[in-house]
Amino acid sequence: MKLFVEASPKLPIVSIAVAFRSGSTFDPEGKEGLCRTTARMLRRGCAGWDADALEARIDSLGGEFGADASPGATSAHAEVITRRLDPFLELCTKLLGAPTFPDEELGRLVREAKAELIEARDSDRTLAARAFRRTLFAGHPYGRRVAGTLPSLDTITRADVEAFYRRHYTKQNALVAISGDVTDKGAHEIAERVLSLLPEGEPVKDSVPEPTPPPGRQLIIVDKPERTQTQMVIGWLGTHGHDADHVAWLVGNTAFGGTFTSKLMQEVRAKRGWSYGASSRVGFERHRDAFTMWTAPSSTDAPACMQLELELLAELKAKGLTDDEVSFTKNYLERSHAFEVDTPRKRVHQPLEEALYDLPAGYHASYLERVRAVSTDEVNAALAKRTPLEDLVVAVVATNEDTGEGLGKALPGAKVRVDPFDLE
Amino acid sequence: MTGATDIEAIVSRLNAARPPARGVRYEGPAPFGQGMTVHRFALSNGLRVLVEIDAAAPVLCLQTWMRVGSRFEKAGKTGISHLFEHLMFGETEKSAHGAFDRLLEEAGGETNAATSLDWTYYHQNLPKTALALGLRLEAERLAHLVLREPQVASEKEVVANERRQRVEDDVDGAVSELLYREAFREHAYGIPTIGLMKDILSFTPEDCTEFYRTYYAPNNATLVLVGDVDLEETLGLVADHMGALEPSEVPLEDVHPEPPQLEERRLVVDKPSPTHRVAIGYKCPALGDFDHAPLVVLNEILFGGRSSRLHRRFVKELELATEVRGWVGTGRDPSLYDISLTAREDVTNERLLEVFDEEIAKVMASSVGEEELDRAKARLELGTLQSLESVSGRAETIGFYDTVLGEPGALFTKLEAYRRVTRADVLRVARRVLSSTGRTMVLVRPSGDEEEALEEGSEQEVATA
Repeated sequence: MKLFVEASPKLPIVSIAVAFRSGSTFDPEGKEGLCRTTARMLRRGCAGWDADALEARIDSLGGEFGADASPGATSAHAEVITRRLDPFLELCTKLLGAPTFPDEELGRLVREAKAELIEARDSDRTLAARAFRRTLFAGHPYGRRVAGTLPSLDTITRADVEAFYRRHYTKQNALVAISGDVTDKGAHEIAERVLSLLPEGEPVKDSVPEPTPPPGRQLIIVDKPERTQTQMVIGWLGTHGHDADHVAWLVGNTAFGGTFTSKLMQEVRAKRGWSYGASSRVGFERHRDAFTMWTAPSSTDAPACMQLELELLAELKAKGLTDDEVSFTKNYLERSHAFEVDTPRKRVHQPLEEALYDLPAGYHASYLERVRAVSTDEVNAALAKRTPLEDLVVAVVATNEDTGEGLGKALPGAKVRVDPFDLE
Repeated sequence: MTGATDIEAIVSRLNAARPPARGVRYEGPAPFGQGMTVHRFALSNGLRVLVEIDAAAPVLCLQTWMRVGSRFEKAGKTGISHLFEHLMFGETEKSAHGAFDRLLEEAGGETNAATSLDWTYYHQNLPKTALALGLRLEAERLAHLVLREPQVASEKEVVANERRQRVEDDVDGAVSELLYREAFREHAYGIPTIGLMKDILSFTPEDCTEFYRTYYAPNNATLVLVGDVDLEETLGLVADHMGALEPSEVPLEDVHPEPPQLEERRLVVDKPSPTHRVAIGYKCPALGDFDHAPLVVLNEILFGGRSSRLHRRFVKELELATEVRGWVGTGRDPSLYDISLTAREDVTNERLLEVFDEEIAKVMASSVGEEELDRAKARLELGTLQSLESVSGRAETIGFYDTVLGEPGALFTKLEAYRRVTRADVLRVARRVLSSTGRTMVLVRPSGDEEEALEEGSEQEVATA
C-alpha cells in the first residue's frame, strides 16, 4: 500500500481516497461493465449491514462514500465531518474489506445501470464522445464502455463480481490519499485501518497493449432526429507522460484550445459565434489516450465549422506557434499553477495520480520547471509530429438527413459511417 | 488576525491620502463560521466591498455581484441580463476585444460569470500577484464597455448558440423553461434567464447601453475578495480603481407578486427523449423566509442521497425511475420547489405521478422520523462545509448571501437554522408548500407516443415546445 497525505485543519472534514491499479480494461470480453459494477456493489451490502442500513448509516454520520471505475483504475472516495471520523472509519473498513455482494442487490444495480445507459442517449455530448472512442480505439480495451452495454451487463453474475473483487482489491494493489483535518500519524492509522480486512495480494500487472488507431480519416455521424445543433469531436491518439515531447505538446495544446482565449475559441466562438464552447483536451491514462477537440455548432454551421477546424490544424502543423504565443502560454501555465495545488485535496491527488498512472517520478514536482524549459522550436516540432491530418476521427451527433451530406463534403477522403443514436 | 482597531487605522490612512469622494468606510466584521471573518466596507459611491483574508495558498478570488438578473426584465427584452454576462468580456474604450481574458490569462487567472433570476456575478480566480491587474480590468469594464453594433451582434450569435445547446436541444432545459413560464404568470421569475430566441436576436446597442448605464453602477454592486490579500493594499487599489465609478439612479423595481395559485397547472410536451419524465414545481418560500430552512431539510429527506424517501421508492424498490431530484429555489422572492422524475424505459408519467402523490400524501399526513431528520441535517452540514474548501467557493457564498439577503455570513445562519428544524417544522412546511392546487407540472412524452396518449382521451393541455 502506498500512502499520500496532505494535512490541513482549516475545515473539520477528512477526505480519504483509496485507488486500485485495476480498471475496466480488466473487464472480460462480453462482460463490459464488470469493474464498475464491482465498485458500485461495495455500498450495496457489507458484513453486518444490508444496503438500506448502509445508506442510512453513511448519511447519519455526515459522510459520503462513492466508488467508480475508469479504464485504468478503480477509486473509492470517502469524506466525513471530523467529529464522526471514528465510526465512519469502522464502516469504511467493512465497505472496502467485507462486501457481501447480495444477489438481489446485484440484479437491482444491473437494472439501474441499464436504465442509465438508455437515459444517456439524451446527452448528445456523451453520444459524440462514445462514437469517437469506439472508433479511435476499435478493438482495443480503451474503446469499450466503462459503464458496459445493455447485453454485457446482463451477463454479469455474482461469481464474476466476487472474482474481480478477490483479484484486484488487495493491499498490494492499493494506493491511499488522505487530506484535510488529520495529522500525518493519524493518516497512517486511517490508511492501515481502512485496508485492514483486505488480503495482502500482489500488484496486478497492466497488460493492455498500446492502442493502434485505424488509419485514414473516419467520419461517424450519430444520427438523431430533430437536432438544431450538432456535437462534434475531432481527434486522434495523443501524448503520454513518458514522451520526450510530452510537455511541449501540452504547451502547444494549451495555446491551441486549452484556454478561453486560445486559438480555437477565438476563431470559432469570438470571431464567428459558431459555437458556445470550443476546446481541445489531452486525455490521460496509463497508456496513450486520445487528443480531442470539441465544438457544438448549429446544424447549418457544422460543415463550415468542421472545415475551419481542419484548416486550423493544418496551419498549426505547418506553421506552428510564434515565440509570443509560446511565451504567453508558458506564462499562463506557470502563473496559474497555484490553482492546481490550492486545496489539500488537489495537492494530495498529484502524487496519487503519478503512482496510479505510472507517470515518471516527480512528474508534478518538476512540471513547472519543464514548462519553463520548453522552447518554441520544441513546441512546433511536437505539433508537426503529433498532428496527423490524414489519420483522424471525427464524430458528430446530427440529423443525418439534414446535415450528413454537408459533413461528408467537409471531410474529403473520409470513410463515412452512420450510427443510430441508440446503438449502445 | 486583523482586529477592528487595526482596520480603522488602515481606513484612516487610506482616507487621509484620498479626496472624500474616493473614501472608504469600514462597516464592521461579519462572522463567517469558525475562525473566519468577512470584513465589510463601502466606498463613497455606494460600492460594497467584502473581504475574507486567507493566506493558506497564494491565490485569491475576486467577484463582482450585480444586483440585476432576469427578474428585472420586460416582455420583448428578455435575456438582456444574461447577454451582459457575455458582453462584459468584450471591448472597452481602452482595450480591444479579447484583451480582458488575454491579460488575465497571461497573469495566470481564470474568469467566468453567471446570471440568475436575482443577480449576475463576475468571477476572477487570480494568483495573488495579479490583484492589481484584476481590479484595474474590472473597473475598466464597469465604466467603459463599448456597446456598438459589431460587439452586440457577435455576442447575440454566441448566446443564440448557447440557447440551442441548453434549451432547444436539451430536454431538461426546455422543460425547465416551460415549468417556470407556467408557474409564474405575473412575477418575472417566469422569464427564462437566457432569454427567448427572438428577443436575444433583436437587442440593439441602444438597449444594451441603457441597461448598462442603469444597472452596472457601483451602488448596485458588491465586490468580494477572498484569499491571500493584504488588506491595506487591497482597499487602496479598490478605492483607486473603483472610487471614481459614477453611481446611477437604479429605478424602483416594478414587482408583480405572483398571486396564489388555486389550481394545478399541467402541460404535456413531446420531445425526442428515450423515456418519460415529469417536472413539478411547487411555489416555495423566499430564501429569507423562516420556512425556507425547514423546506430544505424536507427536500433532503425526500431527495437527498440514496437513503432518501423518493430515491428508495422510485429507484430502488419499484425501479420506476433512473433519477429523482429536488431543489429548493433560492430566490429573493417566493420561487419554485423544483422537482424532476426521470422514468425508466416503458414507465409512464402517469405511473410516476401516482407514486409521487402517494409519497407526498405521506409526508403531509404525518411527521417524519427523528432519525431521518438527523440524517438530513448531517448531509446538509457536510455539503455546507464542502462548499467552503476553495477561495472561489467562499467568495460565491459570501457574494450570493450578501446580494440576496444582505448578510454575507448567512450561510452559517442557515446552517444553524437547519440544526434547529424540528419534526413539527417539517410537517408544517410540507402542508404549506406541497398542496396539489399550488403546483405546476410538465409531463414529457417521448416523440412518437403522442397518438396513443391522445386516443386515451386525455383532457390535458398539449403544448409542443
